[in-house]
Amino acid sequence: MQGKAGYFVGKLIELIVTLLLVSLLVFAAFSIIPGDTARVMLGPDASQAQVDLLRTQLGLDKPLVVRYFSWLLGILTFNPGTSYAYNMNVGTLIAQRLPVTLGMSAIAMLMVILISYPLAVLSARKPGRLGDQICSVIGHVLFAIPPYVASLLLIMLASSVFSLLTVGTYVTPAEDFAGYVGCLLLPSFAVALPKIAMSFKFLRSSIIEQRASDYVRTSKSHGLSDLKILVRHVLPNSNVSSITIISIILSDILGGSLIVEQVFNLPGLGRLLLSAISRRDFPLLSGIVFYLAFITVLLYFLSDIAAAISDPRIRLK
Amino acid sequence: MPRHIHIVKVHHLTLSFPTAKNPNPKPVLDDVDFGIRDGEILGLIGNSGSGKTMTSLAIAGLLPESANIDSGSIKFAGKSLLDMNPKERRRMLGKDIGMIFQEPSTALDPLMTCGKQLEEVLTAHKESVMEPEERHKAITDMLQTVGFTNAEEICSRYPHQLSGGQRQRVLIAGAALLKPRLLICDEPTSSLDTVTTVSILGLLKELCHQLHMTILFISHDLSAVRGFCDRVMVMKDGKIVDKDTTSDILNNPKNSYTAELLTNARLDTRILGLTPAPVDYESSPVLSAKDITAGYGRSLFERVKKKNGSTESDTKVLHEVSLKVYPNEILGLIGGSGSGKTTLIRSLLGLLPHSGTVNITSTRVGAIFQDPVSCLNPAHTIKWHLNEALRASGKAKEIKGDGTFDEKRARTLEWITGALEACGLGAEYLSRRPNELSGGQRQRVAIAMCLIQEPSLIIADEPFSSLDASSSAELLKLMTTINRERNTAFLLITHNIHIVRQICPRVVVMSNGRICEEGNTEDVLNDPKSEATSALLEAERKLHGI
Repeated sequence: MQGKAGYFVGKLIELIVTLLLVSLLVFAAFSIIPGDTARVMLGPDASQAQVDLLRTQLGLDKPLVVRYFSWLLGILTFNPGTSYAYNMNVGTLIAQRLPVTLGMSAIAMLMVILISYPLAVLSARKPGRLGDQICSVIGHVLFAIPPYVASLLLIMLASSVFSLLTVGTYVTPAEDFAGYVGCLLLPSFAVALPKIAMSFKFLRSSIIEQRASDYVRTSKSHGLSDLKILVRHVLPNSNVSSITIISIILSDILGGSLIVEQVFNLPGLGRLLLSAISRRDFPLLSGIVFYLAFITVLLYFLSDIAAAISDPRIRLK
Repeated sequence: MPRHIHIVKVHHLTLSFPTAKNPNPKPVLDDVDFGIRDGEILGLIGNSGSGKTMTSLAIAGLLPESANIDSGSIKFAGKSLLDMNPKERRRMLGKDIGMIFQEPSTALDPLMTCGKQLEEVLTAHKESVMEPEERHKAITDMLQTVGFTNAEEICSRYPHQLSGGQRQRVLIAGAALLKPRLLICDEPTSSLDTVTTVSILGLLKELCHQLHMTILFISHDLSAVRGFCDRVMVMKDGKIVDKDTTSDILNNPKNSYTAELLTNARLDTRILGLTPAPVDYESSPVLSAKDITAGYGRSLFERVKKKNGSTESDTKVLHEVSLKVYPNEILGLIGGSGSGKTTLIRSLLGLLPHSGTVNITSTRVGAIFQDPVSCLNPAHTIKWHLNEALRASGKAKEIKGDGTFDEKRARTLEWITGALEACGLGAEYLSRRPNELSGGQRQRVAIAMCLIQEPSLIIADEPFSSLDASSSAELLKLMTTINRERNTAFLLITHNIHIVRQICPRVVVMSNGRICEEGNTEDVLNDPKSEATSALLEAERKLHGI
């Protein structure tokens, strides 16, 4: 138990260092972008004096290091400042949009797991059979479709061919939770499609590999049924290696959602991000980017912890 | 003559692996016909690829799906196994037929405690309904039977927390848990050191009497069956070529192939005609290591936890080891598992951070390792491997010389082929890939990769342990030839004292991370000063009857 604690502490330190690096990168990236924020905000007709005044108001005239630390402090206390363009607290803005992006990602992830696991198990039962080959071919095709293309195709299918789901509407979860999930289903599926293929391919080969291992042979010689061997030995072992892949897929899904919500006209972080970029809205932009990075790094951290919990070789070195 | 009851009767069994391309391939088992008598220990001997394992898998019903039984029958206690359905056969596994395998390090599920894995044997068989307490008792009892004094603790441990010998004991406990009538042991000791091998063989023999089990013992090592098996069968190319009592097979072999196996098993240099090069101990050593201390890192937390004075010694595997290898010398390095041999090699090669100094006079040091399967890249040809070794050696330019591209290529090819041929493999092997070679051939390729750099020292870490007797003998011949003709020194790590006795003029014995004895091989082995050496010799004597 104590070795476990040491491992977690180490991972936690890793997490903090990573986040600091991310913050440095985010800040540096926005400081390097050419163009004066005050000039962009005031427009080409403003006088130099007006621009200078705004610069002082926004704190842009202070040295970079001071600006970095005051920004870092703000962002770590979940108070990243006021958006230039919306004139609203960035935290509030992000909190409004987050349910769309996170909800979509969560539904997409659920789809990935619920679809790819059973398929992979079935496919790996008899590798090379017709069913396995069909799954593999479809997998390859799906793998090659970018989420925004999938979105467009799905919109066409759903709205004009089947007219099942309402496309382009959004209901907040507070109003109607079922409606909220309903309007996120289609975009989530668009994001999930290539990831289902990816997760399927990985799981399938991992299961096939584990099935050929020595301990499976031992279990067979102990008289265990194939199902028992699959559930008790093969799946847990292939899960250990899949955890990393799952966390990568999850962060990919998060990125994919930003684009797909544009296509589906959903009021998520993606649209906010685009408008922040075009208006040089640094507090908003850095807030979104940093918090998304934070979520991603946190996911990797959690996946490391999950891997350690499921693998005694890491846990009890 | 007493009438023997056969517990297993294999009747004219022929087995092959037909594919779509080749529906009638050469059979892997060709008209195999034998019986295993109730209560005996039957040895099944043969080189790799002779069909030993397929024979055992056929009896157990664990043949790969691509295998096809062309003809014959197998009877277990009168019941015809091949007529049973898969479910019935599965029920027999663990209950009537137990199995243990070659590689204990991977044969247990790394994610499950040993106790849980043993419990599965009990829960898999519905006939034996037991309460959890009863199951636990059965498991701890069996663990005690196989020699654990801390059975409770072993139950809660994960496989990676046990040594190879301990894992094999756990596996034996699993196989014997339901007291099967037949125990099939497929090379159970080939990856264990001599001391552990002797104790495992002793345990198996004891279990055989205690639980009235019959054992089918498969091995490529003829000497391992001495004093263990009642009868021995010899297999070659899927056929049983010889079958007799153990003493007759070992002392009075009638079959020429058995005699050949015996010669190889003895690895007798006088018969093989091997003499190492003379060594000049006055010259300066090719390798001298002084006060090597090394260990493996532990987590920060464990280091803090162990702060009560013993921090250093707990994490260190090597303690101030000093070692010299002279030119032309074959220096033997022996010691039980966990004595720090491999850690020393890793330190010498600079693969592990260590304190102390290592001086190697030549920049060219080659290394070959225990497992030739995982040392070569399966995706590439032998030619690629040799080219890679040449590039890494920094001699590529020197050998290519000047001239056109074609000339350079021809010279490189000539050099590579030369090295390969020196290792007894012809130029036709250049285009092959590792999986098309046997274990012995792969080990030759590994040596060829060393030779390309013309090393003055080759470090060989247990190069024989995964090879059968014939390949070992061939490899030994090759090593002494290289030693004589190319004046290459060897640092040979092995657990086979017999080999050391024959080709190493000097030997170093390691125990618990320290060198406990070194000197002239004859002196050390005939008059051991340390306990570790005596224990190794005792085990060797028991096993090989030398």
